[in-house]
Amino acid sequence: MHRIRRLSVALMVAGVVGVAAPVAANATSLVTISGATSSYPLVSLLAAKYVKLHPGKVRFKIAQGGTTVGINDVKNGHVTIADVAQEPTGADAGLDFYPIAKYAICVVTNKANTLSNLTPSEVTAIFTGKIKTWSGVPGATATGAIDVYSRTAVAGVLTSFKSLLLEGKSVEPSATEEATEGLMRQGVESDANGIGFLSNYQANKGGLNSVSYNGVACNQTTAASGQYAGVSVFFEVTKGPAGGGAAAFINWIDKSPAAKKIIASQWILIG
Amino acid sequence: MIERLRKPWPDHRAERTLGAVSLLIGVGVVAMIVFVVIRAWPIFQHNGLSWVLGGGDFETEVNKMTAATTNPPAAVFQLRAWPLIYGTVLSSGIAVVLGLAIAVLSSVFIVELAPARVSRVVIPMVRLLASVPSVIYGLIGILVLVPFVGNHIITTHEKASVQNVVQLTGAGLGVTIVILTIMITPIMIALICEALSSVPPSWSEGAIALGLNPLRAVRAVTLKAIRPAIVAAAVLATARALGEAVMIQMVSGGKTFSPKPVDGLVFFFEPLRTLASAIVDYREGVGSPALGPAVYSWALLLLFSALALSVTGYLVKLPLRKYQTRG
Amino acid sequence: MSTVAPPASSGRGRRSSPMSWRWGDRLALAAAWIAGISLCVIAAAIVLYMGYRGIQYLRPGLLFSRPQTSADQAGSGGFLDPLLGTILLTIIGIALALPLALASAVWVAEYGRPSWLARVVESSIEVVAGTPDIVIAIFGFAVFQLSLLAPFSFTAEGGGVFGRSFIAAGTMMSLLALPSIYAATRDGLQAVPGHQREAAFALGKTRITTIRRVLIPSVRSNIATGVTLGISRIIGSTAIVLILLGSTLRIETEGAIPGINLLRGTGSSLTTYVYENSPAGEGNAPQKAYAAAFVLLIFVLLLNLLVDRIGRAQERSTGLTVAGGVV
Repeated sequence: MHRIRRLSVALMVAGVVGVAAPVAANATSLVTISGATSSYPLVSLLAAKYVKLHPGKVRFKIAQGGTTVGINDVKNGHVTIADVAQEPTGADAGLDFYPIAKYAICVVTNKANTLSNLTPSEVTAIFTGKIKTWSGVPGATATGAIDVYSRTAVAGVLTSFKSLLLEGKSVEPSATEEATEGLMRQGVESDANGIGFLSNYQANKGGLNSVSYNGVACNQTTAASGQYAGVSVFFEVTKGPAGGGAAAFINWIDKSPAAKKIIASQWILIG
Repeated sequence: MIERLRKPWPDHRAERTLGAVSLLIGVGVVAMIVFVVIRAWPIFQHNGLSWVLGGGDFETEVNKMTAATTNPPAAVFQLRAWPLIYGTVLSSGIAVVLGLAIAVLSSVFIVELAPARVSRVVIPMVRLLASVPSVIYGLIGILVLVPFVGNHIITTHEKASVQNVVQLTGAGLGVTIVILTIMITPIMIALICEALSSVPPSWSEGAIALGLNPLRAVRAVTLKAIRPAIVAAAVLATARALGEAVMIQMVSGGKTFSPKPVDGLVFFFEPLRTLASAIVDYREGVGSPALGPAVYSWALLLLFSALALSVTGYLVKLPLRKYQTRG
Repeated sequence: MSTVAPPASSGRGRRSSPMSWRWGDRLALAAAWIAGISLCVIAAAIVLYMGYRGIQYLRPGLLFSRPQTSADQAGSGGFLDPLLGTILLTIIGIALALPLALASAVWVAEYGRPSWLARVVESSIEVVAGTPDIVIAIFGFAVFQLSLLAPFSFTAEGGGVFGRSFIAAGTMMSLLALPSIYAATRDGLQAVPGHQREAAFALGKTRITTIRRVLIPSVRSNIATGVTLGISRIIGSTAIVLILLGSTLRIETEGAIPGINLLRGTGSSLTTYVYENSPAGEGNAPQKAYAAAFVLLIFVLLLNLLVDRIGRAQERSTGLTVAGGVV
């Protein structure tokens, strides 16, 4: 009687494990990726497509954390590839940067605030805190204090935003710093007085008002043609030259038409 | 050999085996403290004990730590984590004081004042509140309470008054305290109710016989008699409040800021960060060479607070031992 | 709830009517009523609101479909993997906690020599009970990142031990359940009347056989209560899963041996699923968050009912209350 009870418990455990295990995948080579939250949607889609086209060869584990976290992880050997959303700096010696796509950085406001255009000096003044209320911004329909949303220091989008659209200056320290693009979008969406910056993929999802910069709208077309000023690059970064599964993946992104189709859907192709 | 194991064991072998297994837990606890100390050591090495003080710019220090790679220079390890400690003490302290008052009132209500039908409904409700996972509290907080406070309670004038320093979004001290109080009060109610019902009724009947009304009898006699239980409840609730990480991270505003009481009502709208919510915020950096030790140092502080609380509770209860009731 | 029968309230004549009390006392009475009732109202509001949102957003398909990455979060699938993750973690946690807690409780209650060791074990379990979840999670991460324990998770190229896996999270979960099972079992054993042991000894049984054949079966419901309380604590824990389970949306196995590869793999649980889909995570799908939170709440409610049932069955059969009181 005891044996039956023990047996049934064991069978139950085996049952759950047995259901869960086949439910999960089990392939050979493992590529771990971490880094930018802005390129996470793109890299996830590319990885999913790659696994579909080349089943049984590579498995991906994709985490986020921000560009700097990704760079540190790949330097420390914790991951194979880092997703990076900013240009390489002098501190990145020993790392190989492989560009995979371009993206545009859009200034966004809440949907109710139908601000259509900002000049470069206005953008700088708003984000550095020189202009504090919406009344000082021509064309804005919001009233009251400006709520500036920025990203935490590990974000590649922030670094690119500062150098491309903010004339190299820093965002004011009292701005709310969000850890991911999703949180930034969430913040500006729910704050009528909010203003922030997002990659074009997140900015044009709907639910936000995308602001033109210096008369140029922020979208794929203007970014691809070079008209829009705030265009940066997504890189896949490895320690030393990429090898094995990572190299195969990066080569596939570079050459395969399926990958190009994915990139062109929401982002901008390189070259 | 299996047969030898399946035969009933002699007592001394059983005692020794069970004792060894039990000792494992003691070893585990010591191991926990040792591990966390070892991981947090670089922070103590470079800051001494002054990392609990204020003065530095917390966000800049943490940013430097996040950007650091292997073998960072000593300057990177500088840390002044006082805003975290202040936020923890502020939120937990106010929540425990509020919660204790509500818990005592509710327990008196449940045990002494409520008719049986009402307490039959109230008790399961209280038990329900105690078992709701903290992430659900956080979800309701961030999806319902924070937008409500941000859009309907904070005025534009209030936002403008602190705009140079911090942005008010609704997530902050007020919502944190409200939800924290709701979370810890049921724990205290459980303990205090149990203690209240174990006080012999003859004690309060004696007071009533002397002319006190029932409520006064409770206050004069029963509440004083269950002081050990009230202390135990406060200790347990404080430990729970200190350790609450995920819920606070969701509703506290995600900015390391020390709310200033001189700001008046705006004090309750200012964002804050506690030790536990900071660990959740910076959990991605736990493996990194500089940010990792910082996170472990906050965990160490939490661990020592929990230990110190148990010891304090035990010491406070010692002189109260002369009251003979259980609990 | 009360072990001493309260004095029967025999109508209005006995107690003084509040109309004759002083104003301060009447205010205190009102405050007590408000405190008690408002807690009920809050509990009801939480359950009703989560129920409303849950029914609004929960489709049966969500329970059985797997999460997907998609550019548009609305097509992001269901939460089968997080659900399985929660169940798997609970199984691992209880499987590890039960033998350890039982062994310790039996040893402390039945043997307990030398007495300083018994006090050490008691205090250690108290320390574990009082440690915040987040500290346990951080400690677990420190332990499982050692290269010694690399087989328990996976090693990235470049030599870094990942340190996050089901077995890592499950082991730390067992620390959550340990104090409940230990306390319930120990209290149950202490409440067994001495004559049952003496009768067994008189029949010639050794101590360990008495424990195995007489005492443990008689405290079955205590153990069941402790296990159920432990399960509800495990299910509600978010911090440990956030830090120790690797936060992959789907269950990903690691290695080639079936079964072991699942333990070494990463995944998510219902709690982290709710967290990630809330505005604190990526904020993309509050509907999914509500649906998953609703399922979570149902689990917790069912577990609550179970504890209640066990407690009442125990009271009926032995006349003793199960340790735990109101909560």
